[in-house]
Order: sequence, then C-alpha cells, then structure tokens
Amino acid sequence: MAALLRYPAEKADHHPNGVVIIPAFNEEATIGDVITSAFRHTDLPVWVVDDGSTDLTKERALTAGARVLSLPFQIGAWGATQTGLRYAQKLGVDFAITMDADGQHDPTSAKDLLETVVSGKADVALGTFEDRGSGSRRVAWKMMGLASGLDFRDPTSGYRAMNAAAIEALTCSAASMLDHQDIGVLILLVRARLRISEIPVNMFPRKSGQSRIFSTWRVVFSYMIHTLSLALAKRQLRRNQPSKQRNTVA
Amino acid sequence: MIQTVATLFGLSLSLVLLFLIRRDRLHISHGVTWGVAVLCFALLGFAPGLFDAIARELNIIYGPTLAISLAIAALVIKALLLDIECSKLRVKNQRLAQKLAMLESDIADHRNATKKATRPLG
Repeated sequence: MAALLRYPAEKADHHPNGVVIIPAFNEEATIGDVITSAFRHTDLPVWVVDDGSTDLTKERALTAGARVLSLPFQIGAWGATQTGLRYAQKLGVDFAITMDADGQHDPTSAKDLLETVVSGKADVALGTFEDRGSGSRRVAWKMMGLASGLDFRDPTSGYRAMNAAAIEALTCSAASMLDHQDIGVLILLVRARLRISEIPVNMFPRKSGQSRIFSTWRVVFSYMIHTLSLALAKRQLRRNQPSKQRNTVA
Repeated sequence: MIQTVATLFGLSLSLVLLFLIRRDRLHISHGVTWGVAVLCFALLGFAPGLFDAIARELNIIYGPTLAISLAIAALVIKALLLDIECSKLRVKNQRLAQKLAMLESDIADHRNATKKATRPLG
C-alpha cells in the first residue's frame, strides 16, 4: 500500500502521509479485529477516535496498536470523525480513509478508495454498497436525494477516502454544525467544488450492536425530519450551480 | 387595574434583574436586554394611553392587542436569538472537546518519547 502512495509512507518529520480514521462508541467487541484488518490491508497508521465510550473500546484499540484520540464526552460519529480529520490536518496528512468500527466495512476495498484519491481522479471516494440498504432505507436515500438535489447511491456510507483538500473542507466550523456524515457533509463537499466518486465496495452485516440511526421508528422519524430539512435549506440554487452533483462512478 | 399590575410586575422584574447581575448569575448584556423589557412594562404602567393612541393610528380597534402582539413578537425574537447563541456554543463546545482529544494524544506521544529517551541503557 505504501507503494500505492507513490512516495514514502512517512514524511521527513515522521508524520504519516495517510491514515485510517475510525470513530468508535462502545465497540469493544469488534474494534480490535477492525484495527488489525485495517493495518493488514492498508499498511497505514490507524487512529481510533473514542467517542466517550463507557466500555473497553479505548483499551482494546490501544492493545491492537492504534493511536487513540479520546473525546471527553460523546459528540456523535460525525464529530468523532471530524476530530480525526482535524488531527490529520494538523499533522499535514495527505490522505485519510474513514471507516466504521463495527466491522461492516471490508478493509480489502480500502485500496480501491485510496487509489481513486491518490491518483487524482477524485478528491473524495465514497464507498457504496447499495445492497446493504433495506427497502425503507432506500426510500430514505431517495428522499434525501430529492430534497438536496444530489444524486448519490449510498449517501450514508461512512467508508470514504479523501485527500488534503477534502480534509480541509471538512474541518471547518461550518462542518461542526452537522450532526451526521451524510447529506450535510456531501453538500459541503459539493459547495467546495470537490470531486466525489462513488466506488463500489464490499460490506459485511453488522457484527454487533445495531444502527443508531435506524434503531427505532421514533429515531428514524427524527433523523429524517432533521436531514430533509437540512437538505432543503442547503439545496443548491439552480441559478448559481447545477443542482445535480457531478459525481462519477469508477 | 392593568396599570397597577404592569407597574408591580415591572418593579419586581427590575429587582430580580438587579439581584441576578449583582450575584453574577446574569451577564450584563442580557441584563440590558431585559432592562428594556422592564422599561416597556413601566411605560404600560405609567402611560397606558400611549398604546391606545398608537393603536388608533394603526387602525387597531382594541389597544391592548397591540401591546400583547408586541410582547409576543419580542419573546419570539428573544427565543430565536437564544437558539442562535446556543448553536454557536454547541459548535465551540464540540471543537473544544476535539482539541482536547488532540492535545491529550500529543501529550501521550511526548510522554512516550520522554520515557524512551530516559530509559536506562543495558
């Protein structure tokens, strides 16, 4: 994988050129295996952002060899991801891969995502796995697309690779206003005129726990109201920019 | 009667404001905003005819409706300003927590580096 980067895995100041960022909240059951797999398949440093876990997530992550950034209280998966991105920006990291801590994201697909941004084909590679969505989830994705004017096949996927320009765009204060990594983040990237490619990846069923967003109908309803309102409010105006995202599929 | 009620309410509110500011429970900027509210109550208490006169100019038949409408509008604006302030604080709080996590990681690195540097030889 270091060869894929076409330059040393570390800069002269020993800071990494690329990192894997994993936000985690109470994922002690899977975090160790996820870190080990990420190391094996990416050959990049792995940073776990512990989002105020109350179990042994932090300890298991440290044992597995990851750097752990511990938040003093839970701020949500997107906030935790942004923590990792801000740290990456601080160290001058050129590329970052974000993945979930629950074992859903197949680390063997990381090379496809990373290659897309390293080669310059896109600023952000969005890992898509449409088969993971149930009927109601796909309806939700469709509604998000209609409300935002963006056309993504899997807008809620957290499996992404991004370059330094995208990292910079996502570390601003405006991005801190977002609760989730889906439509709001994608709109922000589009507004920054960054190129986003959707790359088919493999995903596994969740190994433990359950989705925090699609857990109960009440939570889903609240999430959809907030997300659709945000999408409508931030929808791009046709006069200034085309409402359709100029995404490409590798 | 309404004049008496408004006057008493305005007086009570001004005393509460003074107490809160002196005890550092309320920031002076908010104290000034609420002070304006107290002045409005005082106006209602000492010059109730003023609202009636303005209402007549605006073709509002029932004068107190104007006072009530203005009060509701002021409360809505105040609530909105509070939400805006709350949003700003939320972002600041979140970014502060992120910065703390980053700094703690740097401190851990520094400690490890210091341990390695001071490890006895052999």
